[in-house]
Amino acid sequence: MTFHDQVIAILPKLRIQALSLTRNRAAAEDLVQDAVCNALAAQNSFIPGTNFSAWMHRILRNRFISDLRKRRETTDIDDVPASSFASPATHEDNLALKDLSMALSRLPADQREALVMVVIQGMSYEALAEATDCAVGTAKSRVFRARRQLEAWMNGDLPVNDRLRMKVKALRDAMDIRHRDGQSAHDLLLS
Amino acid sequence: MTAGDKRKASADDDGGDEKDSPFGIWLSRGLHQLFDDVANEPIPEELLRLIEEDRNK
Repeated sequence: MTFHDQVIAILPKLRIQALSLTRNRAAAEDLVQDAVCNALAAQNSFIPGTNFSAWMHRILRNRFISDLRKRRETTDIDDVPASSFASPATHEDNLALKDLSMALSRLPADQREALVMVVIQGMSYEALAEATDCAVGTAKSRVFRARRQLEAWMNGDLPVNDRLRMKVKALRDAMDIRHRDGQSAHDLLLS
Repeated sequence: MTAGDKRKASADDDGGDEKDSPFGIWLSRGLHQLFDDVANEPIPEELLRLIEEDRNK
């Protein structure tokens, strides 16, 4: 199999990795294309007989991180539309799946990527570690934490940010009522 | 092995069991529903052309 044949063969897996990182289909397509361009430009640095899959996944990951750094100079990662995993309408009908999609988008990118590569691609922890340039223990830990966090959220535990948002909303509502009644709300801020 | 290592090893072992738990099975099914379509979509012509052009250089 030539270098270019290997690039074509790994494209479906790169798409999954890209979607797990970007959380957005259009951004994932762009990321795959950019990673392929980087790989073609760097093909002389690939040593035949070594792990092509890991090499390619690392290029995509590095490109994602590099793009993220550039974007952070002007905007925020949360500006990327989240929960775009399940775009087909038939999937969105499934509420549990929609919840899972939302919960996934709240995970840190490295945990989401690790979970997806192990569960969807059947990657071993060793292969995951090589593909994401980390220790095997770190790879295992990312998958473990992702599973645990998703299970907690799917069982009804709100993410920390949501709890905080709800507290702020409750406080604002209470202050609005006080103001409407012409009372001071200062003590609410001290409680 | 330090206490920290022991905790980590234990967490890793649990991770293996979790895969086969009811939630683990449900999660696997859900992830496949979310991601399998993406993997099976046709590769954009533009991307294939880019690779072929590089091959023929």
